[in-house]
Amino acid sequence: MPEAVGVSSREPSQGYQLRVVQEVLLALLAKEPSHGYQLRARLELALGPLAEALNAGHVYVTLNRLEKAGLVTSERVGQIDRPDRKVYELTAAGRARVMEWLGDTSWPKPAPAEFHLKLVAAAAAGLGDPVRLVDAQRHALLAGLAAAQRAALAEPDGSVAGLLLEGVVLRLQADLRWLEACAQYWTSTKERR
Amino acid sequence: MGRVLLVCRLAARDLRRRPAEAALLLLAITAAITTLALGLGLREVLSKPYQSTRAATAGPDVVASVSSPPDSGVPADLAGLKALARAPGVVGHSGPYPVVWTKLGSHGQTVDARVEGRDTAPAPVDQPKLTEGSWLGGGVVVEAAFADALGVGAGDPITLGRRSFRVAGVAVTAATAPYPELTCLAHCVPSGLVWVSQANARSLAPQSESLAYVVNLKLADPAAAPAFVDAHNPPENAPPGARASDPMPPLLQSWQEIHDQTASLVRNQRRALLTGGWLLVLLALASVAVLVGGRMADQIRRVGLLKAVGATPSLVAAVLLAEYLVVALLAAAAGLAVGRLATPLLTDPTAGLLGSAGAPPLTISTVGLVTAVALGVAVAATFVPAVRAARTSTVLALADSARAPRRTAWLIAISARLPVPLLLGLRVAARRPRRVVLATASIAITVSGIVAALAAHADLIDGASASDPSQTDRMNEVLLVITITLVALAAVNAIFITWATALDARHSSALSRALGATPQQVSAGLSAAQVLPALAGAILGIPGGLGLIAAVDPDSTTLPPLWQLLAVVPGTVLVVAGLTAVPARIGARRPAAEILQSELA
Amino acid sequence: MNASESLQHLGPVLRARGLEKQYGQGMGLVRALDAVELEVAAGETLAVMGPSGCGKSTLLHLLGGLERPSAGEVWLEGRRIDGLSEKALARLRRHAIGFVFQAFHLMDELTATENVELPALLAGRSPRAARRRAAELLERVGLTDRAAHLPSALSGGERQRVAIARALSNEPLVVLADEPTGNLDSSATLDVLRLLDGLRSSGQTLLIVTHDSRIAATADRLISMRDGAFVEETRLTHGSTGRLGELAGLEG
Repeated sequence: MPEAVGVSSREPSQGYQLRVVQEVLLALLAKEPSHGYQLRARLELALGPLAEALNAGHVYVTLNRLEKAGLVTSERVGQIDRPDRKVYELTAAGRARVMEWLGDTSWPKPAPAEFHLKLVAAAAAGLGDPVRLVDAQRHALLAGLAAAQRAALAEPDGSVAGLLLEGVVLRLQADLRWLEACAQYWTSTKERR
Repeated sequence: MGRVLLVCRLAARDLRRRPAEAALLLLAITAAITTLALGLGLREVLSKPYQSTRAATAGPDVVASVSSPPDSGVPADLAGLKALARAPGVVGHSGPYPVVWTKLGSHGQTVDARVEGRDTAPAPVDQPKLTEGSWLGGGVVVEAAFADALGVGAGDPITLGRRSFRVAGVAVTAATAPYPELTCLAHCVPSGLVWVSQANARSLAPQSESLAYVVNLKLADPAAAPAFVDAHNPPENAPPGARASDPMPPLLQSWQEIHDQTASLVRNQRRALLTGGWLLVLLALASVAVLVGGRMADQIRRVGLLKAVGATPSLVAAVLLAEYLVVALLAAAAGLAVGRLATPLLTDPTAGLLGSAGAPPLTISTVGLVTAVALGVAVAATFVPAVRAARTSTVLALADSARAPRRTAWLIAISARLPVPLLLGLRVAARRPRRVVLATASIAITVSGIVAALAAHADLIDGASASDPSQTDRMNEVLLVITITLVALAAVNAIFITWATALDARHSSALSRALGATPQQVSAGLSAAQVLPALAGAILGIPGGLGLIAAVDPDSTTLPPLWQLLAVVPGTVLVVAGLTAVPARIGARRPAAEILQSELA
Repeated sequence: MNASESLQHLGPVLRARGLEKQYGQGMGLVRALDAVELEVAAGETLAVMGPSGCGKSTLLHLLGGLERPSAGEVWLEGRRIDGLSEKALARLRRHAIGFVFQAFHLMDELTATENVELPALLAGRSPRAARRRAAELLERVGLTDRAAHLPSALSGGERQRVAIARALSNEPLVVLADEPTGNLDSSATLDVLRLLDGLRSSGQTLLIVTHDSRIAATADRLISMRDGAFVEETRLTHGSTGRLGELAGLEG
């Protein structure tokens, strides 16, 4: 029984890097200036179990980048028996950037194109049965769905992270439905040939 | 016009879709109508042979006789008889003819015979019509029914008294009821009639004083014969001052009375047929109700479809009624036809009357009554469902939720304590209480009929010695045919109800099997759902049958033997169990998966 | 034998070898199942997915003894059941197999309690014991306050939960569920999903046939079917949260 094959060949080594981490940190600072560790804590709260994979130092690196870009400013605050901590604050340019991001309705790139081309290429080049490819992909997604669902069920009622997990589940369901359609199409194409 | 055509088309299409049910319905109603028609038709039939005999023999309107009291030495009042022949209203007469009672011997048997002296020349009133041989001419002529019973024909030797004679011929007459009806002249004895020459008659009498005389009168108004008879018959009690030595006054009999005597031969048959006919009508009604009930779910959905395409409730009801009316009318026509053809089988009168009964004329009243009954059956059975269907809302009808099974909480609670087959059976029955009532009624009607027939049979056996064996046989046949028809119809009903129940319960049967009931338990349950109502029906049928016989024939007090009564109940239960075992088994063995797949909640 | 008596048996609860089912003949021959091999371990939840007409419901019916295979063997706890008489199969279903159907298949004229106690009554238990067990199970599925209602007064999700309670009535070795959420809306599906997940964690052996990926995702193991044969099999329990980040779009 093969282990589920991952969607991408990249293995998690140091944890994933958050793509929109810049915009998120700016947004989190919009309410009030915060310490770096506070920002990280709130991020982890929002991500729930997914935060485990978050790269530990990623937040601080990003904050530095933002400061260099002029979107935040930092101030060193002295502590009595601890090393100095930085407090970060949003600049006007940073606030503008946040508003721009909030108003942006573009949705993350949908997945179908790559997989679709994969199936067409496999069929055209005779490299493999598209239907078997679909089955394999389905099972991989189902494994992911199972994990997400289990995590979602484990979350207490009203947990905000539960909402994220629900989103994962539903997106995967939608993708799986499309994969069903792919399977039907490629099965009937096979029969017609 | 278009709507009528539409109704007809829809009704016809519906009947074609379910030919077996339509055929069953037709059969049930036809059987009922046939029996009814037979019973009703007999009334018409009875008159005909007598009338034709009367016409052919110039039958008398009044027969008057005098006799001498036995061993009194007083001669018969011949003068009184002759005076009657001149009474006002009399337009013709024949006789007086001498009559003497003697013993007739033939083929080793000896029976009582009544010998009448006649002339060779034809008489103006009551000249017996020969069916065989020739008139007198040195021999004797025997009355046809008597000859039939004795087994003699023209040319056979017989003895009268101690003298031998040769049978010259066989004839029929309307002046007296055919053998073996009692003839009452002076005394009432079942005696056969033999005509001899006047001389031979007188010579057969022991003394001339013991001769009796009979005269046949023709009246101006034949319908007035009973009045004439009443006017001239002696009063009940002897007038004051009568002496034993006075000659006995003449006794008169009108032709209507003789006709009634003839009729009594088939009167019992007619009663049996009418009773049986009405029982069959009730049974047919139950059959129709069952069939209609079984189609209700189908009908309601059709109603929904019709209404959804714009048919009004009245149109819908019209379609439903039309289907059953067509069948009922066909059945009525078929029943009348079969009844007409079958009447001679039952009512071939005794050989003593001319001609066979033939097909009875279809009087308006018979046709009307029969048609009304057929229509009534159809309407009664469909009225309630038609109204209900027409009033159901279209949405509900299409959703087919109108036929949800009934829930009887206490029955369900009781059934939980019973063994599994009874649990299943009771719950199956409780889902459709109307069907249980119909099943019980059907069996009750049948058992009532059987018990009544048994009682009538017992009565026949009791009176067998006094009546003609061929008549007893025929009556027994009639009883048997009616009983068999009742049982057949009830059996078909039972099988059909079981089948309908099995179909109706197929989902819950399949589910029970999926949940762990064995097929044997399920089929036992389906059988129990029939057997329990049958038991109730059988128990009800016994008093029902006894009440029926008391109502139809109040004079008969014979009860059927106790063992027969006791055997009816377990007999019925066993028969029903046997009949329903097969459909129940088939119903319980269909693959559960198939049923559960196709049934959506 | 039921669940509590079968602790000694260590092999798979359910086993099928070379299972085949054909309908019709000649030109009209339909192969619903084509030499299927299957094993379900004790306490395992197995999901079978596939498009309609792939034979997954047929598989379930064969495993539950509702239909006879054209060829092959079915073993329940070491006992071969495909050749048993209808009577023996019925007895088996009383104690060892519980069914949950897509169409619920509750008796319309019985209340929820009466529906749930029916298998116990058919198995010959006393009315009181059956009633007690029914109350227990209805509490377990969270329907105690609807116990006296008829199915027509229950929502789809509630009806299916009653059906699940009924399936558990005689402590079956395995519960066979055929498209349990096929007729349910999304919130009812979630209720049933939670219930099935709860059954799985209590150690009940489950075999679920479904086209709903969420229901399938509750299983320990997932098999895909196509045209009467198994095409893909995956173990689902070992999915880690690490991959979740990727699926959530947390890509660097």
